[in-house]
Amino acid sequence: MKRTALILTLGLGVGAAGHVLWFNTHRPVAAGSLDTQLAWMQTDLGLEPDQFERIKALHERLEPRLLELAAEVDRLRAEFATFERERLEAGEVDFLKVARAAAERRTLGRECDASTTQLVAEATRVMTPEQRKRYLEILAPALEDAGHSRAF
Amino acid sequence: MNHPPDPLDTALEALRTSTPAQPESVQHEVWRRIAHGAQADPSEAEAQPWWRRLEAAFARPAFAAAFVAACLLLGLFLAEMRLTRLQAERTAALEQSYLRLVDPLFRATDTPRAQQAVHRP
Repeated sequence: MKRTALILTLGLGVGAAGHVLWFNTHRPVAAGSLDTQLAWMQTDLGLEPDQFERIKALHERLEPRLLELAAEVDRLRAEFATFERERLEAGEVDFLKVARAAAERRTLGRECDASTTQLVAEATRVMTPEQRKRYLEILAPALEDAGHSRAF
Repeated sequence: MNHPPDPLDTALEALRTSTPAQPESVQHEVWRRIAHGAQADPSEAEAQPWWRRLEAAFARPAFAAAFVAACLLLGLFLAEMRLTRLQAERTAALEQSYLRLVDPLFRATDTPRAQQAVHRP
């Protein structure tokens, strides 16, 4: 009985150790940074080193502006959420504030459109037709959204 | 021509004379058990409780080694399954984060639509 328990324990131990070791050595790095996204793009689109360098430079150049716009979008979204909450709770709307925020939203939408168009246009210029096709497939959700409405 | 007696024969003869005669029942029982063992009913082994059979199986080194190897392979297989799922989730997360980077308005579709206001007196 002791021998059986020993072999069972050994088997389970070896299995668990193999699992943890294999999982940890092959675990992919977490998504998030621009470098990770670009590395993924390189693999997914099969970019050549020179293409990758140009696309990386393009993204690094435009990223600060895009992040700035994203922060503005978040701020305006929060502002509109506040208007909505006030409307629901107090039944009142400050139309002047809403009109100002709406105007700001339209301007921001146009700036976002321009930045996105610039990035996509410059990136696709570097790519082969097959890479371009795949890249536009990846961007399809955003491009479809852009085609319908830029309101947020 | 007479040969000198074999020492082994002498020793066996001495053993036979010194061993008390076994009762008939004992001899009968011994032969019965031998016959029973020779016929070895396989259903008798199956009638044993599972832990006895498990013990018997693990007593064979080949089986024990195969068990440990199978555990290792199962562990690796499960790790691969987890990695595949993780990789798919990561790819989806990368696509989403890249879309959010390229298009700051992308999250617009997640914004809940306006709800009916609660009328208060």
